[in-house]
Amino acid sequence: MTLTAGHRSPHVNPIHLASLARWLLLAFAFSACGLLFVFVKNQQHSLGEQTRQVERQIREVRAHNEVLLARISTLSSRAELQRKLDQKFIALQPIHDTSIARLVPPAQAGNDGVLRTAANERVRR
Amino acid sequence: MREKARIRAAIVCVLMASIFTGYSARLIYLQVSKHEEYTALAAQKHSIRLAVPARRGLIFDRNGEILATNIPVRKVVIDGSHVNNPDALASLAASSLDLPESALRQELKTSSKYKVLRPDLAEDKAIALQKAMEEKSLRGIYFHQNTTRTYPNGPMLSHVLGFLSRKDPDDEHVVGVDGVERSMEETLCGEEGFRHIERDRTGREIVIYRGQEQAARNGQNVQLTIDMGLQAILEAEMESAFKELKPENAIGLIIQPKTGEILALANRPTFDLNLINAAKPEQMKNRAILDMVEPGSTFKIVVASAALNERTVTEKSLIYCENGSFSYGGRILRDHHGYGQMNVHDILMKSSNIGSAKMALMMGDEKFYEYVRRFGFGERSGVQLPGEIPGLVHPPARWDKLTITRMPMGHSVAVTPLQMAMAMAVVANGGKLMRPHIIQSIKDADGNVVRQSEPEVVREVVPPGVAGFVNRALTEVVSAHGTAALASVAGFTVAGKTGTAQKVNPKGGYSEGKYVVSFVGYMPAEDPEFVCLILIDDAKISPSLNYGGLVAAPIFSRVAEKAARYLDLTPAPRAGPILPIAMRDTDTTEFRQ
Repeated sequence: MTLTAGHRSPHVNPIHLASLARWLLLAFAFSACGLLFVFVKNQQHSLGEQTRQVERQIREVRAHNEVLLARISTLSSRAELQRKLDQKFIALQPIHDTSIARLVPPAQAGNDGVLRTAANERVRR
Repeated sequence: MREKARIRAAIVCVLMASIFTGYSARLIYLQVSKHEEYTALAAQKHSIRLAVPARRGLIFDRNGEILATNIPVRKVVIDGSHVNNPDALASLAASSLDLPESALRQELKTSSKYKVLRPDLAEDKAIALQKAMEEKSLRGIYFHQNTTRTYPNGPMLSHVLGFLSRKDPDDEHVVGVDGVERSMEETLCGEEGFRHIERDRTGREIVIYRGQEQAARNGQNVQLTIDMGLQAILEAEMESAFKELKPENAIGLIIQPKTGEILALANRPTFDLNLINAAKPEQMKNRAILDMVEPGSTFKIVVASAALNERTVTEKSLIYCENGSFSYGGRILRDHHGYGQMNVHDILMKSSNIGSAKMALMMGDEKFYEYVRRFGFGERSGVQLPGEIPGLVHPPARWDKLTITRMPMGHSVAVTPLQMAMAMAVVANGGKLMRPHIIQSIKDADGNVVRQSEPEVVREVVPPGVAGFVNRALTEVVSAHGTAALASVAGFTVAGKTGTAQKVNPKGGYSEGKYVVSFVGYMPAEDPEFVCLILIDDAKISPSLNYGGLVAAPIFSRVAEKAARYLDLTPAPRAGPILPIAMRDTDTTEFRQ
């Protein structure tokens, strides 16, 4: 097309603001969605990492607890107590007869007036 | 010209179409036809099925004392594809892993994705190493949960508890291979769980991609009938006897006769469960159920009970004991002392071989054999321990002429120590044979009882009257006139029977000068609280002193004395007579059939 002298007004493409705004809004919405997706994904990863750390801490505390329980049962075992007794770290104290509350009535004392459960040292000697 | 251009354009179009068709076909082939295969391959690359180990159940004694427990440890594994700096990692980890740095460096250069470095690194060391690795951004070593079994009492009760071992060298799973650990394996082991996870390039788990998971089911706890108080008493006495007498082996058993509960069981030689690699095979044998011996005179309770119950003899019947020398089947049978006429009571008290043999002869092969079996000999008792043997009792068809005179005094028959104790428990329990058991209950992790063992009567061997008569005779055995005066315990009436048998030579016949001596008794005789067996195999003392009454009876006495204190049994300063029960108070017709 040729322009005549009488018609020299420039050809202007009108800007349709409404349309532009619509497209910009759409682009913004898409990018916001994308960013939100990335943010949520990052949040997920971050929470996952926290979950992993907490699980690890729980596991460690539980394991530590079990280690301590095992140690307690070892240190309070009969073999260990016997060892401590032999090494005189602990000692046995006799309980006086008057300090014993019996569920079954005690037996009558013998002729010598002594109540004894058993004595077999004769054989050992 | 235009035609040429059109042809060229057509060729290009066809070429392009062919290329895109090829790509499309390939895409369809990969995405559709090979979908399953490549999905699996991708999953294999990134997804891991992580095993979640189940906690093995604990073992307790009857009072809740822990006998076997678990210590958490870490299994240290290398993933060669993740190692980023082998030299730095080796220098950091070598000391924690107790490995030479050069050896660890070599290990870290592996291409394997799973190589176990150590199965049992202590928890605190593993945590410290893990943190140090994270700080220095080193990777390639991972720490998986694992546990190791520990036994707080070491060598005590080792034959009962048993131990764990790998199924085979390539399998990392451990299973119980002996004792309760083996017999209760299914209860104790639980069920392993799993979790499907994905890892990133550095080997860290990507939590959001966690897949299917199943929690582990922990093993249930097992409570034994063992009382560690009594076990400690028995162990101490057996240890002392083992050191003093230097026998080949020594066995001690304490049983509750009314329920069949095994309260204590000790074997010598023994081993430490926490040092299992140092143990020798002969130390690891639970001889109370795996060894059989000729029981000797303890077996006389069988013939006496049988003869009384069959009315072959009565309480007052007199049997001529040939003044100590009885010729039968071309062989002479002797007593330790010469006796004349004796009743059943005295035959048991004096432990007369001839009197016992004559009772069996009067009864006959079949009847006597029937009672031997009724007392539980020649069959497994069914105790929940692995490998129990039935002993050896030949049927009368395989007896020679002398067997009927030898078996009543505990020869030509082989029994386990547990069978001997249970036979004595028959007398202590008014004639009822109980099934011995060592598992009291199964409990879950919260302590709720899942299964409870109940006492089980196997059969009524003899009626209470007969058992009562034998009981009274056995109390006389532990008197100044009997063969086991040294088994007595001041303040209590003890009943029991000694046994002295020449040791069987594996090559045939008997070993000269080697004896298996035993004492099996119970206390208080009026209302027995426990049956205790002491068996000493080949004590290194003079043969003239190697008798059940001189070797085993004093050990019994010491054990029984301490057990009485421990159980707080009420002593009777002057033990009253045991009241007789009418011999025929039970109709025995039914169970004789």
